[in-house]
Amino acid sequence: MAGERRPSAHTGKNKAPGKSLGLYIHIPFCMRKCNYCDFLSFGGIPEEVREAYFRTLIRELGYYGRLYRKDYYVDSIFIGGGTPSLVEDGLIGGLMQAVRDSFTVSDNAEISIESNPKTLTKRKLKTYLDSGINRLSIGAQSLDDELLDRLGRAHSAEDFLAAYFLARESGFQNINIDLIFAIPGQSMESWRHTLERVLGLAPEHISFYSLQIEEGTVFYDLFREGRLQAADDELDRNMYHTAVKMLEENGFLHYEISNAAKPGRQCRHNLKYWSMEDYLGLGLGAHSFLGGTRFGNVTDLNEYMQAGNGDSAERSPFTAWNYQNTANDNISEYLITGMRKIGGIDLADFEERFGVALESLHAETLERYRKQGLIEVRDNCLRFTKKGIDISNRVLVDFV
Amino acid sequence: MNSYQQFIRNFCIIAHIDHGKSTLADRIIENTGLVSERDMKEQFLDNMELERERGITIKLQTTRLVYKAKNGQEYIFNLIDTPGHVDFTYEVSRSLAACEGAVLVVDATQGVEAQTLANVYLALEEDLEILPVINKIDLASARPDDAKREIEEIIGIDAHDAPLISAKEGIGIEELLEAIVEKIPAPKGDSDGKLKALIFDSYYDNYRGVVSYIRIFDGRVKRGDIIRLMSTKKRYEVTEVGIYAPFPVPVEELKAGEVGYICASIKQVADARVGDTITLDNDPAEEPLPGYKKVQPMVYCGIFPAEGEKYESVREALEKLQVNDAAFHFEPETSTALGFGFRCGFLGLLHMEIIVERLEREFDLAIVTTAPSVIYKVVLNDGREEMIQNPSNLPSPVEIHHIEEPIVKADIMIPKEYVGSIMEICQERRGRLIHMEYITETRVALHYEMPLNEVIYDFFDALKSKTRGYGSLDYEFLRYEKSSLVKLDILLNRELVDAFSMIVHESKAYARGRFVCEKLKEIIPRHQFEVPIQAAIGQKVIARETVKAYRKDVTAKCYGGDISRKKKLLEKQKEGKKRMRQFGTVEVPQEAFTAVLKYDDNK
Repeated sequence: MAGERRPSAHTGKNKAPGKSLGLYIHIPFCMRKCNYCDFLSFGGIPEEVREAYFRTLIRELGYYGRLYRKDYYVDSIFIGGGTPSLVEDGLIGGLMQAVRDSFTVSDNAEISIESNPKTLTKRKLKTYLDSGINRLSIGAQSLDDELLDRLGRAHSAEDFLAAYFLARESGFQNINIDLIFAIPGQSMESWRHTLERVLGLAPEHISFYSLQIEEGTVFYDLFREGRLQAADDELDRNMYHTAVKMLEENGFLHYEISNAAKPGRQCRHNLKYWSMEDYLGLGLGAHSFLGGTRFGNVTDLNEYMQAGNGDSAERSPFTAWNYQNTANDNISEYLITGMRKIGGIDLADFEERFGVALESLHAETLERYRKQGLIEVRDNCLRFTKKGIDISNRVLVDFV
Repeated sequence: MNSYQQFIRNFCIIAHIDHGKSTLADRIIENTGLVSERDMKEQFLDNMELERERGITIKLQTTRLVYKAKNGQEYIFNLIDTPGHVDFTYEVSRSLAACEGAVLVVDATQGVEAQTLANVYLALEEDLEILPVINKIDLASARPDDAKREIEEIIGIDAHDAPLISAKEGIGIEELLEAIVEKIPAPKGDSDGKLKALIFDSYYDNYRGVVSYIRIFDGRVKRGDIIRLMSTKKRYEVTEVGIYAPFPVPVEELKAGEVGYICASIKQVADARVGDTITLDNDPAEEPLPGYKKVQPMVYCGIFPAEGEKYESVREALEKLQVNDAAFHFEPETSTALGFGFRCGFLGLLHMEIIVERLEREFDLAIVTTAPSVIYKVVLNDGREEMIQNPSNLPSPVEIHHIEEPIVKADIMIPKEYVGSIMEICQERRGRLIHMEYITETRVALHYEMPLNEVIYDFFDALKSKTRGYGSLDYEFLRYEKSSLVKLDILLNRELVDAFSMIVHESKAYARGRFVCEKLKEIIPRHQFEVPIQAAIGQKVIARETVKAYRKDVTAKCYGGDISRKKKLLEKQKEGKKRMRQFGTVEVPQEAFTAVLKYDDNK
């Protein structure tokens, strides 16, 4: 495990547990569902249900803490959603307390929370910082109000700017801004303008996602009815490469397909996903990868909130499925996640991990795509070329 | 007549697809008390999965039943099943030859159909007593009087006291069984004469070798006899004779008038062909029974292992099918596009579809089939003739004096409101109307002469589609005729893909070329580069389409560590890729080969 090789950053009072662990905590509530969103989240959930949900989360933390606190220390926490910033700050404070009660959290852990600009208040931000949250992710998506409206976002560009400055004033020194491009009707000009203004704010991290029209969304229905025109692929790619160029010119390191950060500010938590390190997902429908097993939580809200009342010992009552990865699964997942990193995968690390050289395992595939100019080896790392990123799935297919 | 013969009735059931033949067979079996209801598989006689699904019979099953009639006598009924499709006319005729009578099932809601008629004519040729019954009288749309009138007018047999039944509901079955006893003649034949037994079906059994269904016309046969097959002159020792009740029951001997099976360690169905006569080697009959012919394939196509499938597995499966199907032929073939495979010959399109489906389902093989082709007679400048069933083998145009193509007589039956549209599709397919007749006030028979290559292309689909399934078709080979035919080639990214080549009439080449290019454009996925699709005759490109290059295939976000979703997506994409064939630099989905042949309603 990569976690074992990582020098222990842990400095707690207890005897240091050996392996690092990331925690993902899912908060499936939002003001309203955005038009493009297919994540597991619900608008209009009453306060008492949200409270009951947090009580379940705390039960779940207790359950996993008993199982794993002796073997793992937590060095990244990601509170995602939905809109975690929607809920009362006391719930987040209580949740963070429960995390510390259940697990050993290292002092320099990266602890992120996602937020919607409209929901952030001075008080919430203070509570977050007080509870140890040290990284704020703000869903700006665009700085074009017309596009925000089309996306079904509940905030304006002005709301975002206000929230950003408030977060800085409150003391957040590590801020990510989420952006979406290739929005139906978006022009290159509008995208550039959004990027310029966001870069002007000098955040530590920027995520920039190409809009995907997913089944089960408002956009999907409109698209099917012919009432929504998806952005042209050509424009989509131009926007992507424009973003990469502008980010790099502004001192950002493009380190994952859709993510860029100032040096040293890469999201440690997300990197765990791309490097097959251990992470535990808590909350509705959350996914975990722990000790070579992938598992996922139940996705029905009521079922989730019932779970764990009678605490069964053998199997997590929150889990809907689990799957023990085979050696082949591990290899293919290592490739399909690792290749999302712009630096690619370290060939020596691969061989050490799996006891076989990647070049001998996929010789023919590697050669073919190298010839086509889609992948390259630099500094003993296999990675996508700029051209390769655009059609990376075509290559990854051969690693599944 | 030997006394035992007066208590035997050998008969078959003639019906159009869906008119209820199998259901009726079930009811007859049930009502004769042979099989308890509990043991009955729905539709007893159709035992192949595929047949059951399509509601048609391909391989025969024959059953011996005992019926206690109202007169107190017990009768032996040999119910001889017949295949139910236009491709198997010859096999039908041999089954009919084994009978003295035929129960003609006419659907009270549909009336007489072309194919029913074809089989009735076959039965009349064999001098069978026809016993009409009107089925599905329980349905609200039943018009039994119209059905009777059609039988009388079209077929010219008396139908006024035809039993009115519902096989599904079990109505009128008793009455029908009594009519079988009364109307269908008992078999004749001299049980002490020289052995003459007709093979009307054969199948291969892993343990007993070829098992042949036979009808004894004269003489008798028992285990240990040395028999001779009169067409091949080959001799075999009989290892078993028996009856089907409906499972095989060995008996002491079979004698004139009886129906049963015979095993003689025959290795291949092709050695015990339908229609052949069995006699005793040491006391042979002088003449075989009339009507034997060796059936020839009319339609050919290439069958190739799909990407990742083994050539050997396909060959083994084809061999197994051939053992059981004397009409099916195959030989090795090589395609530059598809690699090593087989050229296969079939009686007709349905026969081809059935074999392909069996390869896919029963043998679980992934295969690619190429466009079906008929056999062309190519007359060369030096006077030599070549029979060509693979477009790729067509000699160079400079060597060819002319090409001839097979013409069939096509009998089409349709409700009158479709006459206009059906004449139009026949016209489009180079059909020549020979004769048109009103069979009744509402039904019309069209008699056409049509090139077989038009019939096998998409005619049947078009007919069904234009008549909402009410049209029926029967065809038989007439002759070869000189015709202006050209070879149409398809090029992908400027490379010829031989498996797409087809021989078409000159007048159709442009339209077909355009159609194939358009279809392929829909089916071929985008590549990293532009893919031109061209249709060409010789060097001349007659149609062109382009598949644009793709620009983007990337997952923007894997949310919350949900790797399984991304993996599923890639796996799905991989499945799609597996079904692709690599032609040079171009990947083509395997469906492409059949898709370019499908009838398109909008065309």
